[in-house]
Amino acid sequence: MKAPFKQRRERKFIGGYRPRIDGLEKATGRALYADDVSVRRRFPDLLHAKILRSPYAHARIKDVDATEAEKLPGVKAILTFRDPEVARLRPTSAGWTDGVDTVSYERMMWKKFRDRRVLDDTVRWVGDEAGVVVAAESEAIAEEALRRLKIDWEVLPFVLDPLEAMKPGAPAVHPEVTATNVLSPDPVGGENVFLAKGDVERAFAEADVVVEGTSTYHNANQGSLDHWCCTAKWDRDGLTIWSNTYEADQTRMHVSQMLDLPIDKVRVVCHYVGGQFGRNDTGEQPFYLFTALLAKRTGRPVKFRHTRREAFHDSRQPAIYTGKLGARKDGTITAASFKAVGNIGAYADHSMFALKFAPAEAAEVCFAHIPNLRMEAYGVYTNKLPACMMRGVGNSQLNLVLAHVVDLLAEKLGMDPMEVVRKNFGHQWETLPDKSLSAVLEEGARRIGWQEKRHPPGAGPVLEGTKRRGVGFSFHPGWHAAWQEMRRGQIQVSLRLNPDGTVLLDAPTVETGPGSNTCNVLGCAEALGFLGIRPEDVHWIASVDTERSLKDTVQTDSAVSFLQSEVMAEAALELKAKILALAAEKMGANEQELDIVSGRIVRRGSSEAGTDFRKILWQGDLVPIAVVASRKPIAEKTGVPYLGAFAEVEVDTATGRTDVLKLIILNDCGTVMYASGAEAQQLGGQVAGVGESLYEEIVYDRATGVPLNFNWVDYKIPTMADMPDIEPVLLEVWRGAGEYGACGIGESVLTCTPRAILNAIHHAIGVRIDEIPVTPQKVLAALGAL
Amino acid sequence: MPRKSKARPKPARVRSGTTARPLARSAARLAGRSAARPLAGTVTLRVNGLAQVFEVGRDLETSTTLAWLLRERLGLTGLKMSCGEGACGACTVLLDGKPVFSCMTLAVEAAGHEVETIEGVSEDDPVVQAFAGQCEPGYGTAVQCGFCTPGYVMAARGLLAENPRPTLEEVKEGLSGHVCRCGCYAGIAQAVLHASEKRGGRGGAR
Repeated sequence: MKAPFKQRRERKFIGGYRPRIDGLEKATGRALYADDVSVRRRFPDLLHAKILRSPYAHARIKDVDATEAEKLPGVKAILTFRDPEVARLRPTSAGWTDGVDTVSYERMMWKKFRDRRVLDDTVRWVGDEAGVVVAAESEAIAEEALRRLKIDWEVLPFVLDPLEAMKPGAPAVHPEVTATNVLSPDPVGGENVFLAKGDVERAFAEADVVVEGTSTYHNANQGSLDHWCCTAKWDRDGLTIWSNTYEADQTRMHVSQMLDLPIDKVRVVCHYVGGQFGRNDTGEQPFYLFTALLAKRTGRPVKFRHTRREAFHDSRQPAIYTGKLGARKDGTITAASFKAVGNIGAYADHSMFALKFAPAEAAEVCFAHIPNLRMEAYGVYTNKLPACMMRGVGNSQLNLVLAHVVDLLAEKLGMDPMEVVRKNFGHQWETLPDKSLSAVLEEGARRIGWQEKRHPPGAGPVLEGTKRRGVGFSFHPGWHAAWQEMRRGQIQVSLRLNPDGTVLLDAPTVETGPGSNTCNVLGCAEALGFLGIRPEDVHWIASVDTERSLKDTVQTDSAVSFLQSEVMAEAALELKAKILALAAEKMGANEQELDIVSGRIVRRGSSEAGTDFRKILWQGDLVPIAVVASRKPIAEKTGVPYLGAFAEVEVDTATGRTDVLKLIILNDCGTVMYASGAEAQQLGGQVAGVGESLYEEIVYDRATGVPLNFNWVDYKIPTMADMPDIEPVLLEVWRGAGEYGACGIGESVLTCTPRAILNAIHHAIGVRIDEIPVTPQKVLAALGAL
Repeated sequence: MPRKSKARPKPARVRSGTTARPLARSAARLAGRSAARPLAGTVTLRVNGLAQVFEVGRDLETSTTLAWLLRERLGLTGLKMSCGEGACGACTVLLDGKPVFSCMTLAVEAAGHEVETIEGVSEDDPVVQAFAGQCEPGYGTAVQCGFCTPGYVMAARGLLAENPRPTLEEVKEGLSGHVCRCGCYAGIAQAVLHASEKRGGRGGAR
C-alpha cells in the first residue's frame, strides 16, 4: 500500500480515491465506441469508404480512369476531385479551431494557412489522401476498386528535411501558401521573433557564463487504439454523423459550414472514445465531408475508418531547438534565447500553436524574471507526415531544450541544477523562489534520493562491469489554469433533480479516457452536498448528441475535469433556491426562513430535525427541478502550478541499452479533483514519456520519402514489460480561482519525462545525447564506441 | 507456455430470435440434425456457450477473421479492432480457454471450438471486478479510455487460469502482448494481482 496524497482542505467527494464511474461498463465490454455503434448488425445496409493514398512524396494526379473500378461488383460510388460537389468545397485546414471552442469558417484560427482541399489532386506525403474515394459493400471491395484505378501521376520533386526545405531552390510544398516553405507570421502566433525583451546580445556579451545547447524532438504518433472514424447517414435533408471526434459541437459546425447545411440539419453523436492524445485536436477532417457526400450519393449509410496504417496521419511536431543562457557567477540568469525550427510536414494544421503559442504561454509564467529574452520559431513545410498536435503540444519540445541548457549552465557553474532552477524560474505574480516549483523540486529530490545519488557526470560506480547509473530531472510550468482557458467561451451544464433525490447531470464532454466524467460526478455530488446525496445518486449522460445535449466542453487541455465542476457549483446554488421556494410553498413558510442541511429542510435557527427534501418534492408536481448554467471560465490571473519529473536510469556502456529504473512524477494540481484518475494520468504519462524517450519514432526511407514503420510491429510502443517503477505524486500548493482552483494536468504529465531521462543518462555516462529517442546506437555513438 | 484446454464442453444450445435472419434459418436447419455433425458449407462455432451456425459464402468467407464475424455478424462489440496484426491485444478472446488474437484467427479456424468473448464473462467475475474497481493509491486506475480493457480482461483470465498465483514479473511478462496507450500498466498489474487473491490464489498484490 502506497501513501495516499493529503488534501489541503478536506472535502466530501472531490479528491477521493475511488473507482471510475465507467469502470464496470468498460471492464465488461458494454461501453460503446463509434466503431461499435456502426457494425453491420446495426446497419445492415452499411457501405464502407476507402480513400486513395499517395504512393509518392509529392505528385499530382493528371488523370483518373475509373472504368475498371466501377465494373467491380459491390462498388456503389466513386467520388473524385472532378465531381462538382467536391470541387465546390472551399479550401480548408485541419487547424480550423484552436481545439477548444466552436468557430465558423471565417473565424478559423489559421486563416492564412488554408492549405487543405478535400480530395485534392495534389498529394504531398506518402500516404496523403489523394483525390479519389470509393464506397463499396465491404472494405475489401473498396480497396480492390482503388487498386483497379488507372491513375496518371505527375511525380514532383520533394524535400524531407526542414533545413534543406528552407534553402533557396528547394521544392515548394505549398506554393499557394509560401514560396519558401517557411510559414509566414500570422495573427495568432505573431512574428518570427515572437517574444523580445531587453537586449539579449548585450546581456550575453556581459554575462559571466554563457551556455548553448540544441535538442531535437522526434515524431511520435498519438497512437490511439480507437481509430478515427465516422458513419454518415441522411434522412431526407438531415445528416447524422456518429463519430469518435472529441468535439461534437465543432464537428457539427464544420460539416454545416463546409457542406452549406443549416446547423439544425446536422447531428453529431459521440460515444466513448478510445484515447485521444491530441490525435484529432481539430474539429474537422476531410473524411467527414466525403463520407457525407458518398452517403448522399448512394442513399445508404457510409462508414469511413482509419486502419492502423492510416492512423499515422499526424504526429508530434519534430522540432530542432537551440537554447542559450547567459548568467552571472552566482547563477542568476541574465539572458535567454530559444530558437525552434519545426518540421511541420505537408500541412500547417496547428503547427504555429506548437511553435509559438504554447512556448509564449510558458514563457509568460516561467521566464518572467529573466530580463533579456528572445524567442523565435519557424514552421517549415516538408513532404512528410503532418506534424502538430500531441499531448503536451509545443511544451514537450520546449522542455527538452529548457532543462537541457539549465543542466549545462549548472555544470559550468559547478552548481546544483535544482538551485539554478529555484533561483531563476517562476511566474511574475510571485517573488522567487516560486512556492509551487520549490515544493515540486523538494519532494522530487527527496523521493529520488537526489543528494545521495549525485556524483560528477559519468563518475559513479560501475556495476556488473559495464553499467552506470545516473539521476536527472526536469521541470515545467502548467498551462491549464482557468484563466488560460478563456478562449473556450461558455461552459454549459444542466442539473435535473428528480423527486427521489437522484440527479440527471448533463455535463457534456466526449469521454476520451482521462476520467473527467468521474470528476464531473464528484463535482456534482460535492456541489449538492447540502442535499446529502452521494455520487451514486448522480447519473452522468455518457454520450454527446448535438441534438439533445448542451454544447460539449471540449476534451482538451485536460481542463474539463474542473471547468464544468466550477459551473456546477454555481448551478447548485440556483437549484437550492428553487427547492427552498417549493419547500416554502408546501410548508407555508417564508423561503428566507428555510435552509437545507444534509438533505433536510430546516427552519434557520431552529433545532428541529426538519423534513427530508425528497418528501417535499414528492408533494409537488413531480416535474424534475432543472437548472441550466452557462458561464465563461474565471478570468482572474492566478499564475500557474508547476510540475516535474525525476528519473533514475541505468545505461549499459557495452550494449548502449538504457533502462529506466525509477520515475517520480510530481504535479501541483491546486486541487486534486479525483485522485485515482489524476494518478492514472501521471502513471500513463510516464509510460508515454518513456516511449518517446527510448523507443518511438517514425522512420522514413530518405530516397523515396516512404515511411517504413506505420504499424505497431515496427513502431514500438511500450508495453507492461517496459514499465519502470513509477511514483505518482500529487501536490496542492498553488491556488487557482473559483470554488476548487484546480488545474488540468493530463497533458503536462509527460512533458518533463524525456528531458529528465536524458539528463539522467548524461549523469550516468558523462556524455550528452540531445536527440530522442535514445536508441542504443546513439548511446554507443556518443560514447565513441561506434 | 501453452496450456491444454480445461474448458468442459457444454451441451450446444441453439440461439434463436436474436441472431440475424439468415443465421436463424441455418440454426433451425441445424436444430433438426445432430449438432455434432457439421453441414456442408456451414461452420459452427460455440460462442459464449451458444452454437452459432454460419454459411460459408453468405455469412462469412474463408478469409473472414474471427474478430469480424463476432463483431459484425453477432454484434459482440466488446472485443475491439485496432492494429489488425496481433500487435495490440485489443481483440483478445478465449478459444477453448486460451487467449487468442481474434484479428489473427480465421473464423473457419474456430469452427468446432468454444469461443468466449467478454460478453460471456459475468459481471461478478473477479477479474472484471478488479479492473473496474482498481483505485488503490499509487497505482491509478486499471481503466482509462477502456478500449483495450476487454482484451486485457480476457488475457488476464487466461493468464490466471494457467498461473493462478502470478508474481508481478509474471503478470508483466504475461500481458506484454497488449498495448494500453493510456498507460494504465501499474493499475492493470495491480488489478490482476488482486483478482488472483480474490480467486483464492495466494501471492497477489504487493
